[in-house]
Amino acid sequence: MIRLILHLFARPALYILLTLAVYALSLRLHRRWAWIHPLLSASVVLIFLLWELHIPYASYNTGGGVFTYLLGPATVALGVPMYKQGIKLKATLPRLSLVVFAGSAVGMITAGGVASLCGASHRMVMSALPKSVTTPIAIEVSRSLHGDPAITAAMVLLTGLVGAVIGPGILRLARILHDHAVGAAIGASSHAIGTASLFRSSETQGSISSLAMAMAGIFTSVLAMLLNLYWRAQGSGHP
Amino acid sequence: MLGFVIIVAFELLGAGLHRLGVPLPGSVLGLILFTLALMLGLVRLEWVERSALLLVRHMTLLFIPLMAGLTTMTAELRKNGVALLASLGASLLAVLLTTGGLAHLLLRDDEIAEINREADLLP
Repeated sequence: MIRLILHLFARPALYILLTLAVYALSLRLHRRWAWIHPLLSASVVLIFLLWELHIPYASYNTGGGVFTYLLGPATVALGVPMYKQGIKLKATLPRLSLVVFAGSAVGMITAGGVASLCGASHRMVMSALPKSVTTPIAIEVSRSLHGDPAITAAMVLLTGLVGAVIGPGILRLARILHDHAVGAAIGASSHAIGTASLFRSSETQGSISSLAMAMAGIFTSVLAMLLNLYWRAQGSGHP
Repeated sequence: MLGFVIIVAFELLGAGLHRLGVPLPGSVLGLILFTLALMLGLVRLEWVERSALLLVRHMTLLFIPLMAGLTTMTAELRKNGVALLASLGASLLAVLLTTGGLAHLLLRDDEIAEINREADLLP
């Protein structure tokens, strides 16, 4: 019996199942108590289970890693909402991209600026820059800027989670209520995690948000690329 | 299933181009090329729509293993905690308010009805 259990514990399929089960549970909790963000409850339950059952993260990740891999295709899949909303919002598109571009630029400047003011090392500052965009993009941007992809991933997750939970409230306080404005702000600041939250409450906001997050991903990578080219042109590489 | 094949193919295409020296992340290249292919009609919406929306709708699920992974790097996070948290909070607020504020100014006249209110993104 024990050998059977140990055998099952070594199967990636078990961890895929565990992740799906935790996710299904978190969606139920969210339906019952809307203020509990599913990502938060799912992570807490999962971390607790791994801890209690003494499963090392590396073993869990043999199965759980499948979902992490799927973030790449999921980013490409954003092309579908982008295309669909792009057709419907033809007239708004140039202004929306301007707005998201401004948001992305401000985000990178404040993230890097504040980290730098607080005495973070150059590597940490670079890791903070792409924190507003979805994980697969942020990790690659971080790597291209010689940041630490693991730190970036942590920043991305926390930004998304905090933005999804308190973002709509902050916008309400600032009297920003228009569906387009809320969608753009959450998409540009809290990427996929914020977007998924919006979709659960408003179709319109969610659609704009997915468009904005895809744009933010593109703009942030382009800005990072320009930063790199600028440094290379200066001939100094990274300071 | 065809949808997943097409989407993963575009992701690989993006990764390949990045590898060959295009200075943008592979997934961004994949996203741009995929959107262009949809716009040019090379890929039909109905081939990929269901698979794509399945992935997009359940993106929260895809973040769960990474969240659990944060427990393995607490030491590193604690060392730089203050700077990173300050950066996170300030930047989040700045992005929310600039984007939201600008969008409020520039987009508020647009008809909300411009967007199809039929639940076409959710089943």
